[in-house]
Amino acid sequence: MSSGNKNKRWKFLSWLIALALITPVLVMLFSGIGSSTELFSHLWQTVLPTYISNTIQLAILVVTFSILFGVPAAAIISQTNVMGKKYLRWLLMLPLAMPAYLVAYLYTDLFDYAGPVQRFLRASFDWHSPLDYWFFDIRTLLGAAIMIALVLFPYVYMLVRTAFECQDQHLIRASRSLGYSLTQSFMKVSLPLARPAIAVSASLVLMETLADFATVQYFAVNTLTTAIYDTWLEYGDLSTANAIASILMLLILFTVIAEQRARAGQRHQSNRLNNQIKEKKLSVAQHFFAAGFCWLLVIAGFILPFLLLIMMALDYATLEQLNELLSSGFNSLQVAFYVASITTFIALLLSLFKRLHYSKWRDHPLQISGFGYAIPGTVLAMAMLATLGPIDHWLNGVAKLLDITAPGLILSGSIFAIILALVVRFAAIANGTITSGVEQIPASLDLAPASLGVTLNKSIPKVHLPLLKSSIFVAWLLVFVEAMKELPAVLLLRPFNFETLSTQIYQLISDERLEQGAIGALLIVLFGLIPVVYLNKKESSV
Amino acid sequence: MTVLLTLRQLSVALQQKPILSDVNLTLAEGDILGLVGPSGCGKTTLLNTIAGFVEQHKGSISIAPDMVIDANNLIAPEQRNIGMIFQDYALFPHLSVYKNIAFGLNHIDKAEQATRIDTLLSLLKLTDYSERYPHQLSGGQQQRVAIARALAPQPKLLLLDEPFSNIDARLRNELMLELRSLLKKLGITAIFVTHNKDEVFSFADKIAVMHQGRVLQSGTPIDVFHQPSSWLVADFLQIGSWLPVIEGNDECFTAIGNIVKDTIADQRKDNEQQYLLLKPQHIALMPEGEVNVNIEYVRITEHGFHYLLSSLTDDKRLSFEQLSFYSHHVFAQGEKIAIEILPHNYQLFSK
Repeated sequence: MSSGNKNKRWKFLSWLIALALITPVLVMLFSGIGSSTELFSHLWQTVLPTYISNTIQLAILVVTFSILFGVPAAAIISQTNVMGKKYLRWLLMLPLAMPAYLVAYLYTDLFDYAGPVQRFLRASFDWHSPLDYWFFDIRTLLGAAIMIALVLFPYVYMLVRTAFECQDQHLIRASRSLGYSLTQSFMKVSLPLARPAIAVSASLVLMETLADFATVQYFAVNTLTTAIYDTWLEYGDLSTANAIASILMLLILFTVIAEQRARAGQRHQSNRLNNQIKEKKLSVAQHFFAAGFCWLLVIAGFILPFLLLIMMALDYATLEQLNELLSSGFNSLQVAFYVASITTFIALLLSLFKRLHYSKWRDHPLQISGFGYAIPGTVLAMAMLATLGPIDHWLNGVAKLLDITAPGLILSGSIFAIILALVVRFAAIANGTITSGVEQIPASLDLAPASLGVTLNKSIPKVHLPLLKSSIFVAWLLVFVEAMKELPAVLLLRPFNFETLSTQIYQLISDERLEQGAIGALLIVLFGLIPVVYLNKKESSV
Repeated sequence: MTVLLTLRQLSVALQQKPILSDVNLTLAEGDILGLVGPSGCGKTTLLNTIAGFVEQHKGSISIAPDMVIDANNLIAPEQRNIGMIFQDYALFPHLSVYKNIAFGLNHIDKAEQATRIDTLLSLLKLTDYSERYPHQLSGGQQQRVAIARALAPQPKLLLLDEPFSNIDARLRNELMLELRSLLKKLGITAIFVTHNKDEVFSFADKIAVMHQGRVLQSGTPIDVFHQPSSWLVADFLQIGSWLPVIEGNDECFTAIGNIVKDTIADQRKDNEQQYLLLKPQHIALMPEGEVNVNIEYVRITEHGFHYLLSSLTDDKRLSFEQLSFYSHHVFAQGEKIAIEILPHNYQLFSK
């Protein structure tokens, strides 16, 4: 647009918000990198190599397993006539709703020495002690990797399946007319063409893995996230925690760059779903194998843990627990409500700024505000502490000078820090949803009101907002759900005695008492289903 | 002349809807067949059925010497040894020009591969582009890569789906002649699909006109042009204009003169409104005659002035709106002139 709105306050506010969202992370990075070399060399000589190597090993394993689970599933669903395809198509997305730490806890319960599986085996084979038989140990790095991959592989499945389904079928036909069978053509043409999609989804999985805290903490695998948590909460060493967070942040940055490059490679992919895919007709044995593979993933990643949770809830739920959940649930709702409302408001302000304002850099505030999606909650928490702590300190100093009661940790020690951290983390979700809504509005509608003598100030509430109603709702809902589920940032930033649903569940899991929070855990899973249903609906309407 | 391809009573239905019905065709080795017809007539489906991408329900496809494909013996596309050039070329975006051409050659040894590819590269003037990727090429270059890729495995039959539709109109003729001489030089048997009648006449040795899943007529372009078998064929190929005719005892009447019945060479179907197929070269000016047509539209072409004429008659059964007529005389739009039908082998059709 050549002209556009020239409102200076709008411009100022947009830039202020964008900068406010990015400042804490910059502060943390500078203070982390600027921390004494002595501290780094000490860390390097003691724990850091283990943390880093564990983190990298975990990341590689999770990505590998996610690809091993997700790519074959995508191929089976998109390329074959596998039995139950209609259902498996969306069932395979459900594990996304399951937090990895819940799966980890439930499977540990199921498979460890005192669990039903080993008890049954011992009883059946007359074994008496661990010396009599070998059984895999789930509480290992490998175990953690499988648990995390079981709930993250749907990212790979979804993106790669879409890539397969959008491929130009003439390419497959060309390959066949050149002498390759359907299966050979898949290997020679479809799979190589899906490489960018595999890379993008792998980097999403990688980001989520680097951000994981609760699963590895539960399995006592020391990674960078658990290190941040331990050094801050157990030893109270803010500068060390900051330094570790900065290292993790750098790892994330590499991933983001890798993802951007992979996305650039997707230019061959069209976004048009192709309905003339020639399905491979499977033999009975192949049906059994392919459907079995998919069902195994659905059962292991969702159905089994979900059923275990339901059973737990039925067995142990009491009114008292419900009462306890109510107060933490209220806190969760409160946090999620603020976060969802603020991010949605910001997304609206910035997307419309990008669309309607005349200024040259009008798309930058939106971009800047969305950078936080890749940053792990633990890192964000450190960023909030690194930034808000000194501000609190300064405020208290000012109060002392003015001889009024010191406000205490009014920013860093309150729900404010949690909300700010979550707004930074989830702004990208709201931005994405609202921007795509804005893009659906024809550009002529920006100009039409002016031609009718209606100013922009009046046309935004009269034209744009009504058209964006459903986008606003979806953005709000998606952020709300994510904010309900978020754990590590809240865990690190919560004021004393402040519990949310997820921190309470996490506490119960650490104390091996999940039974008492089974209803809450179910609630988290059910909330998690909302965005999955939304994703499914969105893509089936393409 | 050996027959390479024979289609017998070929029928295809997709979701219970018949797409092709009872298609019979033969094609001699080395010939180029042009399949024409309006969009949706089933010509691309016919191509895809021959290639093996669409399954036939009835009838057979025989490819000399010994391949017979019918509903009980569907041979997979990759085993038919049929090359195909797609409308969008379908070049593999992740492979270089060289590797695209080498794609179908994995069964022969590297040395032979290299010679074959080099020959094709130079034949199609692609030698300088062999390391480029498809998106770095122009449309014409992409088409040449698609041709080289399809020819590399030396297929028995080459299928081309609207090969010129993505090419700039000005380049189209040149490319068409180029491709035709290449196919002739290599002695390749080919079928190509188009909805453009000019392409068939300049590219094909034999044409087949399709309509609603059936082949209405096939033969050499000249035969079809001179003896269209039905109103639909003549109309689709725009062979001439239609002049309504009323039959009398010895003569037939039209709005611009009568024709003697005995001289009618061809007459299809009785008891329906008949139309005379009138080609522009069979119309002449009659300077002394009584005016009988009005000039509706004037266009300048390389063959002189092209006029569309409407009749002046009051008889509704004989009146017409668009009669094509070429002349070097200059007339103005709205001018009224006199024309007559030159004697020739008259052909009457009913719709």
